[in-house]
Amino acid sequence: MKSLRVALAGLLLAVLATLVRAEDVLYLFIWNTYLSEDTVRRFETQCRCRLNQDFYSDNEEMLAKLEAGAIGYDLIVPTGNAVETLLRKKALRPLDKTKLPNLKNLKTEFRDPWYDPGLRYAVPYATSVTLLGYNATRLAERGLPTDTWALIFEPQHLEKLKGKVTVLNSQRELMAAAMKYLGYSVQETDPARWEEAKRMILRAKPYWANFSNSTYIKDLAIGNIWVAHGYSSDMYRAQQDALEARRPFRIDFRTPKEGAVLAVDSFVLHQSGGRPDLAHQFINFMLDGANAADVSNLIGAGNPNAAATPHILPEIARNPGIFPPSEELLRLEMLRDFDPKTRRALSRMWTEIKVR
Amino acid sequence: MTRGGRLFGLWTAALAVYAFLYLPLAVVVIFSFNDSLLNAEWVGFTTRWYGQLFENTEMLRAAANSLIIALGAATLATVLGSMAGIALQRWQSGFLRALPFLVLAPVAMPEILLGVSLLLFFRQVLDLTLGLVSILVAHITFSIGFVAIIVRVRLAGLDESLFEAARDLGASPWQTFRWVTLPLILPGILAGFLMSFTLSIDDFVITFFVAGVGVTTLPLQIYSMIKVAVSPEVNAVSTLLMALTLTLIALASKLAPDTLRGRA
Amino acid sequence: MVRWSEWAGTVAPGFICVTESRQAGRSPGPGENLQKWLVSLPPTLFLLAFLVAPALLMVVASFQQVGDFGGLLPVLENGQSTLSLEAYRFFFGDWIYAEIFLRSFLVATATTLLCLLLAYPLALLIATGGKRHRDLLVLLVILPLASNFLIRIYAWMIVLGPAELLYTPFAVIVGMVYVHLPFMILPLYTNLESHDPALLEAAQDLGAGAWTRFWRITLPLSLPGVWSGSALVFIPVLGMFAIPELLGGTRDILIGNLIKEQFLDNRDWPLGSTLSILLTAAVLLLAWLAAWAGRPRRGRA
Repeated sequence: MKSLRVALAGLLLAVLATLVRAEDVLYLFIWNTYLSEDTVRRFETQCRCRLNQDFYSDNEEMLAKLEAGAIGYDLIVPTGNAVETLLRKKALRPLDKTKLPNLKNLKTEFRDPWYDPGLRYAVPYATSVTLLGYNATRLAERGLPTDTWALIFEPQHLEKLKGKVTVLNSQRELMAAAMKYLGYSVQETDPARWEEAKRMILRAKPYWANFSNSTYIKDLAIGNIWVAHGYSSDMYRAQQDALEARRPFRIDFRTPKEGAVLAVDSFVLHQSGGRPDLAHQFINFMLDGANAADVSNLIGAGNPNAAATPHILPEIARNPGIFPPSEELLRLEMLRDFDPKTRRALSRMWTEIKVR
Repeated sequence: MTRGGRLFGLWTAALAVYAFLYLPLAVVVIFSFNDSLLNAEWVGFTTRWYGQLFENTEMLRAAANSLIIALGAATLATVLGSMAGIALQRWQSGFLRALPFLVLAPVAMPEILLGVSLLLFFRQVLDLTLGLVSILVAHITFSIGFVAIIVRVRLAGLDESLFEAARDLGASPWQTFRWVTLPLILPGILAGFLMSFTLSIDDFVITFFVAGVGVTTLPLQIYSMIKVAVSPEVNAVSTLLMALTLTLIALASKLAPDTLRGRA
Repeated sequence: MVRWSEWAGTVAPGFICVTESRQAGRSPGPGENLQKWLVSLPPTLFLLAFLVAPALLMVVASFQQVGDFGGLLPVLENGQSTLSLEAYRFFFGDWIYAEIFLRSFLVATATTLLCLLLAYPLALLIATGGKRHRDLLVLLVILPLASNFLIRIYAWMIVLGPAELLYTPFAVIVGMVYVHLPFMILPLYTNLESHDPALLEAAQDLGAGAWTRFWRITLPLSLPGVWSGSALVFIPVLGMFAIPELLGGTRDILIGNLIKEQFLDNRDWPLGSTLSILLTAAVLLLAWLAAWAGRPRRGRA
């Protein structure tokens, strides 16, 4: 019994010791796998501080956490619409551009986003496109097209794909895909057009396997699923996994010709953060070409940083699914948040879609 | 049907259930040694996932968080829960009539409700930063009930005359508790502690709602890994977790075999 | 070896034990009042603060309005109350939400029945078999609980994937049954173990066959165990969201998913709170029904 007590006391002391030890820590709330261990280590040696990362896998999840009182994060990496939300809630701290000399590295087309004109709060870090990933071998065998949303909405194609399709479990993303296919804007709020999209989705739904936000990466790579609606960086991951595992087929991805959703993720400083100095230091570090290229090489994300281009692997830099050519860029749209009433109405429709 | 035939039938059914319980666990363990990132089929034997695991600082930090939280929550829940158990058994008048319901509610309630209401509460009333404290409080809340019930059941099985005898011999309430009640209910208390510990270290739903800055627990880490695309590291970490729990159980029965075994 | 059989199964029967009022109450002696307060106040206060208060807050939130960018509008704005029944009206405005409630209850019922079917023979075997292996057999039931909940679900994804059964209602039920089975086995076992073997022997002496003995003695006596096991399975299933999300197909949406969606995807806390309140009400109603059905009819042994 005595040894037990000694052990417990020792444990308690150890816990206290870790709590008391003062340390420079930068708290980061960031997407999963958005930073390589290597980059983290380099920054930690440079700043002589520690980087603490908490992860989220969805903007809404992140906003809910912040709304619920998660404070103390120095840096967050929200997508454009979430930046707008955070700005409107006055949750962000303006950037001190004198501390960000590397800001000049950003491509011109990313210097004046609608959610933050003139980059006063947000520094673009990575981009992705919501598109279709597919098993190129299986689709070719069946003579199916790969460059259109019709693949997941039209029964004539779906007949040959029954149970082999997943779509995102996100009301906004799926509606956006439907809207784009129907030739409308992703910000469409006309009830008649919503109704039209709903009917189309319900017609296609029996052919889909499930609504998935993540498992499709693995399902594509294994071969369980042949077509997935999802993010370009996920599709890149599935492609690489399938290659590494020497699967007997090829995974590819492509932006449908009707257009799609573009997401731009940016670094922002949260009001509650205690170390804006370290946060600026980190952003400037990440704006450096070699460091900025990491996110593209690591997860196949698009890159708003011009200085990064020479450091990006050629096969990634050439991939139109990751770096959309300029004529395609025009057909891409970013999502903007709806007001609460519209959100509730959309959520009701979403529930109906799920139930039927 | 003969007795032998019946027993045979029962055993077959039982073995089938055990197979059902252990099939997925076996899959997890076996595939933690599979030399394939995708884990779709068996490719070859490797231990590299374990190697990668020990280099994964995020994962190790999450494991440390989980252990600290589980120890803290289990300790406090055991103290509070034992008190509640004793109160349940001894007094049932006045406001204490409501205690059984307070104790049972978190045990019976769907986890998501507790998580959501605590989230609202921390934010709206306490203005508390989500983090270590909020997770601890949440875990204690749902563990108290389990401890209280176990202790109460233990107490109910004891002979009331023991306490009367102690009192008649002039023992103070504290002495009665320290030298009579406590040793007798210790197995229940230990069991409650183990149960709270297990519940806390495995809790995902409630922690998901109340976790905050810098405190990612192991289940949360695993969830985000599963969401992103599972690598066999997940299998490796859960295999280790199972091994750890087994060790804890074995240790518990070694450390205090008599108290755990002894009936009142 | 730890006496698993002694403690593991106590939780569920504890439901009955705790709710049942004690017959022989002593009148509190002098000085016992202080003791009573010292012992009972800390846990009571803790639970009032972190269980009751949050629950009440959720009730208030269900009447509040959504803020422009999520969260909640303050209850009072310019001296005017912003509370309304809007979320409730929205819920009862059409059948969709009621349909999801109904569907969740069906899934919970199916899960409970399947668990019962699988658990009963096993519990009977452990309870009536030799004492020697009892601890080990019970431990084997508990052990799966010691591995991470999500990992167990993920393991089923590996198992069901190649069989083309993944993303079906079947997969959801398998996952639900798998996760909750131990909570059915343990209370059943504890109950069955407490039966007096003399009863069965007497029945045998009177010429009752094996089936008669089971139907007329074992089963009726085990009903309290069946009820508490059912409660421990049925209620958690209602709030589960991870299993339908990971194993289910395009139609498998349950209340748990709906609630989670309101809080984490849709920033609609009032509607989420309303759904939670209605679920709580349904659960309380059921718990009350179960307690009523499982009330001890004769004095407990």
